Amino acid sequence: MKNFCKIIFIFILFILLTGCYDKAELEQQSYVIAIGLDKGEKEGTFSFTFQIANPEVGSTLSAGSDEEAEETISITGNDIVTATNTANSFVTKRIVLDQTKVIVVSEELARSEDFLRVIQSASRTPQIRRGVEMIVSKEKASDFLNNNDPKMEQRPHKYYQYMLNRAKQTGIIPEADLHRFFQITEGDADLFLAIYATTEKAETEDTGTEDEYIAGQIPQEGGNVTQFMGSAVFKEGMLIDIIDGQETRICNTLDKTMGMEELLSTYPDPIAPKYRISADYSQKEEPVIDVSYNKKTNHAKISVTVSFNLEILAIPSMIDYAQNEKNQKILRKSIEKNLENKTKELIQISQEEYGSDPFYWSLYIRKFFKDIPAYEKGDWNKKIFPNAEIDVNFVLKRLDFGKMLNDSNLNDVRD
Amino acid sequence: MHDKKTLKASEMFAMVTMLVGMKLTDTTATLYAQKSQNAFWVMPIISFLVILPSFLLLLFLLKKYQDKNLVELLESILGSVMGKLLGFFIFISSFLLIGLDSRSHIEQIKLLYFPASPNTVIFFLLLCIVFLGAKKGFEVIGFASKISLPFVKISVLILAILIMGEVVWQRIFPIFGSGLTIVLTEGVLKGSIFSEFFLLTIAYTSLRKTADFRIGALFGAFFVLFEIVFFFFVYTTVFDYNSIEKISFPFHDLTQFVSLGDYFTNIETFFMVFWLLAGFLRFIIYIYLLTWIFGAIFNISEFEPLLLPLSFITLVIGMIPDNSVVNETVYRDTLLNYVTPLYVIFPILLWGVALARGDLKKQ
Repeated sequence: MKNFCKIIFIFILFILLTGCYDKAELEQQSYVIAIGLDKGEKEGTFSFTFQIANPEVGSTLSAGSDEEAEETISITGNDIVTATNTANSFVTKRIVLDQTKVIVVSEELARSEDFLRVIQSASRTPQIRRGVEMIVSKEKASDFLNNNDPKMEQRPHKYYQYMLNRAKQTGIIPEADLHRFFQITEGDADLFLAIYATTEKAETEDTGTEDEYIAGQIPQEGGNVTQFMGSAVFKEGMLIDIIDGQETRICNTLDKTMGMEELLSTYPDPIAPKYRISADYSQKEEPVIDVSYNKKTNHAKISVTVSFNLEILAIPSMIDYAQNEKNQKILRKSIEKNLENKTKELIQISQEEYGSDPFYWSLYIRKFFKDIPAYEKGDWNKKIFPNAEIDVNFVLKRLDFGKMLNDSNLNDVRD
Repeated sequence: MHDKKTLKASEMFAMVTMLVGMKLTDTTATLYAQKSQNAFWVMPIISFLVILPSFLLLLFLLKKYQDKNLVELLESILGSVMGKLLGFFIFISSFLLIGLDSRSHIEQIKLLYFPASPNTVIFFLLLCIVFLGAKKGFEVIGFASKISLPFVKISVLILAILIMGEVVWQRIFPIFGSGLTIVLTEGVLKGSIFSEFFLLTIAYTSLRKTADFRIGALFGAFFVLFEIVFFFFVYTTVFDYNSIEKISFPFHDLTQFVSLGDYFTNIETFFMVFWLLAGFLRFIIYIYLLTWIFGAIFNISEFEPLLLPLSFITLVIGMIPDNSVVNETVYRDTLLNYVTPLYVIFPILLWGVALARGDLKKQ
């Protein structure tokens, strides 16, 4: 009898497993993958767009179902969480934000002061994670989400995950999660870079290089219309400028908190300027940023040394760089010089125009101050950085030429 | 009731770690960070240094007066009335703290995992489990802590490894945070975050040997200190000073942030299981020790039936603050500050009296 009672008791415990108040049926929830933020028509209101994934699509169980992979809806409101509630007037299920991968902000909203208000309220809810990526779209965020039409990765969560991961590996877009956004914005010293994307084609100017584009300018045929390229520069929570893929890559190389895996890029051929040399740039060590700071004058000297390796992939000019040592020396010099110049240009823009740095360099000045009041008084972004003396050095550690010793001699072939 | 006395130093170690180590997951970090910004990770060291001499002194006295636990020691040194009075102070201060601590624990569970459930229900369930666990007695609690310790610590270690990629160590600068004086004074005032060490001394004679108690407690104390400092360091370097002040539960923000590769994203529930387990054990140990002290003060040798009313009163105290923000920034903050002098001074007082009475010269 005693055993019987025990068994009954254990079975009663099973009822608890369902949870009473927070019972959630998977079937009765709508998972939002992307949130779009736009300005509302009235001052102080916003328009929210939710891209809701359909979990049925893409699973093996649902063969033959012709439901769409996603549903995109827009609604005006005050903040994200209450908007999900209002949206239930036409969405059948409870909207949950747990699975959100990206927040898309229209450039218009990002440039206004209201942006910080709405994004701050997003961080208050535990539903939105710190890993959510921030994308700035050239057009309205609702248009962006509606136009985005991936052909291969139809399930939206996989699309964003793979798309952003790959683009980040190549360095053409920055790492831009909310965690970083709040750190940099609240830290009030550096510039935050958000991913820049668009579904609208802009006029393309063929620059001849492969990364001097911002989203929309890349000459593309076929495929999804959405392009991710370049970054949106935020200062104190407001968008101030857009920089292209190449500049984003430079930021990535100079910032130790950014990860970048490989970078295929071209450099002008020093001997035959008509052509460009393609190479695989890799950076095994973090850049060495050496700051010396003079307390009296509040002046800093920053010397940056980036050591990198290069593997040559193509030499269209067919000039012998591999075995001719003199040529090789010229090539090394020219590539280092090229990188240094581009970096200096970007630094100059950030010193003069932005008045702060997108490289998270305030980290290195902090050790010169004994406490935070002193550090904030020193004022990195208004006083120290814009007047700092910055010296950039790129050091090419190793130059590889792939598996071919030499290119075929054009003259011999044509003979 | 405790005639078996099977517990060894390892169980003692596990209990100390469970009881105090949970502090790294709750709002203690935020409480510190609001005062001293990015220097808050050194504050546990200061708090620990403030508490340590008193704790060592108490251990020394316990060793001298063999076969006595905390309350018996108080009584034999200060006399019956004064001893009981001091014991009662210790009981009350810790009891208030457990009420607020459990409230903060409830808030975490509610906010992160059960947003729709009412506070009272979660509180009630927690205390049910705590009551049932505590009823099993000291031996079972000790074994349970020892068995679950590796799981809890390994899960925390996994979290630490996963978050390593986000650590930017330069964020510890400027080294003195909001200013050296603030860091020092706040560190000293918050010495009471280690006050649980003193509660454990009620169990001084209930281990197999008293040496086991000393070894376990000291190793546990240093391990806990290391663990807390390490995690506070991680919080500082991951969140930076402006963000950490605003985050109520940094531990859970970390668990929500990390992912295991591309496939296993959103893995916070994995950590939640072990965190809940550790939380239960912490409050089981806490309630049990407090009831024990209460029983000892009022000469109730069969104190275990008191667990139920005391659990219930804990619930009542925990429900007093209106919301978690008030609970943290007003009640808990103030209480921790007020309690610290009590714990720092009473062992010194005991020692002084014992010295004056010449008790220490014997043996």
